[in-house]
Amino acid sequence: MSNLFLLTKREIQERLSQRGFWYMLVLGPVVVLLLLIGLLKAADQGKQELNVLIADPGQIMSHRLMAQEEQQIHYFFIDDYLELSEFEKGKAYQEFDVLLELNEKVLNNKKCFVFFRDQLGLDARMQLKFQVERRMEELIAAQHSNLTEQAFRQIKQGFIFDFRDLQDPKNESKEANAWAGFILGAFVLFFVALYSMTIFRATVREKSNRIVEVLLASVKPSQLMLSKILGIGFIAVLQLLGWILLLGFGFWLLQETIFLDIFDPSNWGQDAPERLNPLSALVFEQLPFASLIVHFLLFFVASFLFYGALFAVLGARSSAEADGQQFLFPLLFLVSFGLFSGIYAIYFPSSTLTEILGFLPFSSPVLVLIALAKGLGIAAYTNVLLSLIILLVCAFSLLGLGAGWYRKSILKF
Amino acid sequence: MIQIAEVSKSYNRKLVLDAVSMEVNKGHIFGLLGPNGAGKTTLIRILNQILYPDGGQIYFEGKLLEPVHLRQIGYLPEERGLYKTMTVRAHLLFLAQLRGLSKTEATKNVDHWLQHFDIQGWQLKRISMLSKGMAQKVQFIAALVHQPKLLILDEPLSGFDPLNVELIMNEIKALKEQGTTIILSTHNMKSVDEVCDYAALLHNGKVLAQDAVQQLRRAHSKGLIEVRFKGNMLSFANALWTDFTLLSQKELEEGFFECTLQSRGGRKLNDLMRSLQEHVQVEHLSQIQPSMQEVFIDLISQKAAQNV
Repeated sequence: MSNLFLLTKREIQERLSQRGFWYMLVLGPVVVLLLLIGLLKAADQGKQELNVLIADPGQIMSHRLMAQEEQQIHYFFIDDYLELSEFEKGKAYQEFDVLLELNEKVLNNKKCFVFFRDQLGLDARMQLKFQVERRMEELIAAQHSNLTEQAFRQIKQGFIFDFRDLQDPKNESKEANAWAGFILGAFVLFFVALYSMTIFRATVREKSNRIVEVLLASVKPSQLMLSKILGIGFIAVLQLLGWILLLGFGFWLLQETIFLDIFDPSNWGQDAPERLNPLSALVFEQLPFASLIVHFLLFFVASFLFYGALFAVLGARSSAEADGQQFLFPLLFLVSFGLFSGIYAIYFPSSTLTEILGFLPFSSPVLVLIALAKGLGIAAYTNVLLSLIILLVCAFSLLGLGAGWYRKSILKF
Repeated sequence: MIQIAEVSKSYNRKLVLDAVSMEVNKGHIFGLLGPNGAGKTTLIRILNQILYPDGGQIYFEGKLLEPVHLRQIGYLPEERGLYKTMTVRAHLLFLAQLRGLSKTEATKNVDHWLQHFDIQGWQLKRISMLSKGMAQKVQFIAALVHQPKLLILDEPLSGFDPLNVELIMNEIKALKEQGTTIILSTHNMKSVDEVCDYAALLHNGKVLAQDAVQQLRRAHSKGLIEVRFKGNMLSFANALWTDFTLLSQKELEEGFFECTLQSRGGRKLNDLMRSLQEHVQVEHLSQIQPSMQEVFIDLISQKAAQNV
């Protein structure tokens, strides 16, 4: 049996025998889910009053939306199309928060655009959508069928409400997708940072308890270093997959239970609440999931090799676990650099700096996942491949260099 | 078994080993001696291929030392440790397999040594639960669990209580009886006197002396003689004449003395015997050999005097 396999197996067994691993495996997803619930609940608490201007050139709505005046959303009508720039800058329209554009064929094509000045809360979106949809259902039922409004709702097709930021009316930034990619990228960085510190501690512990000299009489320093990276990397992937499974199950459970409260049909008179859930729409319809997961794992492994080699060398150069504290700051700096690069890329997707950051090993995992979440053409995908190649070349170069540094440092007590 | 030829090693331009040559014969116990910083640990690490020499060669059974030979070498380092979270058994199996044993062989050998040291009851305990002495026994077993032809022991007795020192010493002797070649690096000169066949003294990276232990002791003999006799002290002193100087005397009981003499002019024990036999009844007569401790100090002092 090869020594590398034996060493790696020992690393894996040691991590699996630690309670901390199992606590992290279960508690991590629970904390994430609790945070998510908290965020969703909090987002729905803030009720805002909205002035909505409905551009209704076909006068489909007949200047009427609700039977009674709505408390939260106030509707106003104009009987023509309105240029976005005019709505955005015209003095007469500054009191309006939202422009709802109903094309003349909306009853047939069932699609309308909603432009907002400031981001709308989930609650406001739901109400706006529900109220407009109810009115249009009323009209369709009356004009095109002999069905009652109730019976029509049983068989109707949903309207598509396309919410768009006035600053990005063509929805080029795909901000929600970008943030989803950012979160995945952040996960890569956090996990890599967490387990890089584990490599550091494991290396220092072997050094400080002097087992390293016994081991080095049987194995090469490079094997010892690689076994740490592979063993702890395997545990990291295992934990990551555990998190994905538990979080997936948690999301499903939340949708079946707590999310139902938020999107309760009885609150909105909706029969198909899941269609109204922007989260599920994002996750199941807008994100290129398969591609994201594959690249997430690829960049995770490459980043882990890169940071793992770096921290194994730092571990070999340290003589006590307490030394790890001094490396925490640069590690946090590197992770923050990756995160801030991601935020920058979301707001300035086409800048030269974003392009450069996409190729740097410290930031490329986040930027690539953001780009992939927004959807990429074949031409742009070559940049993703280039980023991955650069990251892998850096990782393997560091592994090669690191093995030499590790050998020189590991016996300096 | 092991031939070290002109091995040199420097750290940051500081010469730690300076053309060191020595030979360790098969089945012998070879004492590697020297003060702290002499280069012993560096030489041992080179023998274990943990470090590589800047110059010179090492031969194992006539062939250039290569990683493949490490499976036939056992090593107990001075600074030794164990994984605290592993059980005794798992740890020994792990280290035995790292040294190239199959799982079956490793299991068989581990069982044998656990039984031999009578610690089967501890095999499923975590290392963190062991006493220091017990952990050291585990470390000792780990060094020889793969039945090496060459066993390198760096300060194997440090930290052991007297009972365990005895146990380890007996084990070292038994291993020699079984044909294992042992390199023993230690500051415990009593153990060198007791078990080593050959010894080399390293000082500042150079070999100061190397030979059979008995030869080294003889070479550093000061011509001291111990005598125990019955009779009259005055007659004894007169009989010495000018050939021997009386250094010390002690009356063990009435009319029974023990004395230390210094030979002069190259006089031998036989000369003394002839001088004494007509005057006192000699009960014991022996040449006092210096201990390895004295040889060690003597050699270092000579070297220091040369440097001044």
